[in-house]
Amino acid sequence: MFDLFKLELFKLRKKLRAWLGPILVFLLITISFPLTVELASDDLKNVFYSILWIASLLTVMVSVEGIFLEDYEDGTLENFSVANDSLFSMVLIKIFIYWLLIGIPISLLGTFFSVSMTGEMSSFYIALPSMLISTYIFINLFALGNSLSLNKGSVLGALITMPLLFPILILLGKIVLNANFGFEISNLLLLMLGVLLLIIVFIPFIISFIIRTHLE
Amino acid sequence: MLKKLYHQFASPKTYVVLVNKMYPYIFYFSLCIYTIALVWGLAYAPADYMQGNSFRIMYLHVPASFLSQSLYLVMAIAAAVFLVWKVKLAAYMIKSIAPIGALVTFIALVSGSIWGIPTWGTWWQWDARITSTLILFIMYLGLISLHGSFTNFEKADKFISVLVLVGFVNIPIIKKSVDWWSTLHQPASITLTNKPSIDPSMLYPLFFSMIGFSGLIICLVILSSKVQIFNREGNKSWVKDHV
Repeated sequence: MFDLFKLELFKLRKKLRAWLGPILVFLLITISFPLTVELASDDLKNVFYSILWIASLLTVMVSVEGIFLEDYEDGTLENFSVANDSLFSMVLIKIFIYWLLIGIPISLLGTFFSVSMTGEMSSFYIALPSMLISTYIFINLFALGNSLSLNKGSVLGALITMPLLFPILILLGKIVLNANFGFEISNLLLLMLGVLLLIIVFIPFIISFIIRTHLE
Repeated sequence: MLKKLYHQFASPKTYVVLVNKMYPYIFYFSLCIYTIALVWGLAYAPADYMQGNSFRIMYLHVPASFLSQSLYLVMAIAAAVFLVWKVKLAAYMIKSIAPIGALVTFIALVSGSIWGIPTWGTWWQWDARITSTLILFIMYLGLISLHGSFTNFEKADKFISVLVLVGFVNIPIIKKSVDWWSTLHQPASITLTNKPSIDPSMLYPLFFSMIGFSGLIICLVILSSKVQIFNREGNKSWVKDHV
């Protein structure tokens, strides 16, 4: 298990464009947003979070688009599927490493931005946990979509994944709404964490089933 | 006995024979019912005291919205049947229902926005029910394009069933969107548990229109599934006798 972890980490770490690129894309989206509205306006505070969610969604979409493609083409996936049940753990670890190298950095960046944008420390407690959880969910679901459209291009993957993210986006919107009214947000965060726990178990299982079907 | 019946019905041949026999009855029955409902609803039901005559588009809008979600439910059941028992007929059903579901959802969206102009003063609002129905429409299109992008149909069947089952998480949200959020769209008037909040003079034609419209859509599903079966099983010998 640990060898698998080291191998996958090595594979992603070596491809600089695969993990640094998305982080820079995230940075560019968040920077370019204040340019398009008037900098002084107070409205920025209210809509800033939604830009954060959409930026993280787009970043994950860009970064995950080739998650299985290279391994599919060079036959690594075939090796793993022949070896008894390691495809499941391989998918699990692959998704975890994407979160480690892309999800966590963009969450930290987004938190930094939201604190500096709103000027309140309280937004730290809204942005960080919700971005950490939501990026993990996004990576899982985009991995699912991209495993379905493995060698058919990433547009199809995005098209079939985006509707599945709809409940998560509603939850994120609710979190911001509750925080603006000064209500408790921990219950919504826990709900999202529960969704994440379900997804962590089921999505790699479904993905390994899909990959096996691809290799038939 | 039951198992034998189940296996028999799961074979495309028995299905086609049965459906060929039933089709005219279903078609003429539901056509009559829907015509009765339309005449009753459009000509005889009283005008609404607030909306005037514009509410009469309900006899298209409500059945279409109802079916847009029910067809997805049928697809999800078929997907589960296909993945668990490997019944090929179920996979053909998914493939043939998806375009019809998209069509019905489109009808619901268009009739809803036509209804929205006189009652809400706007034809589109980013409200929970409308947005989630639009997403349902995009989900149908995604299913169609996923199946269309594979030349190997056996694989495509498995992928589309997985996607239908995963996408099913959205259906309860679409169904409950009018109850969970305070939105422009009204909550459901007809539920299984409560007394309907529509006057009987409008309710009966609505029930008739739902039965009739569903019957007509079922006819469409039958035709489309026959096309699907003949496409995929075209090299079998029994197909010749039933075309």
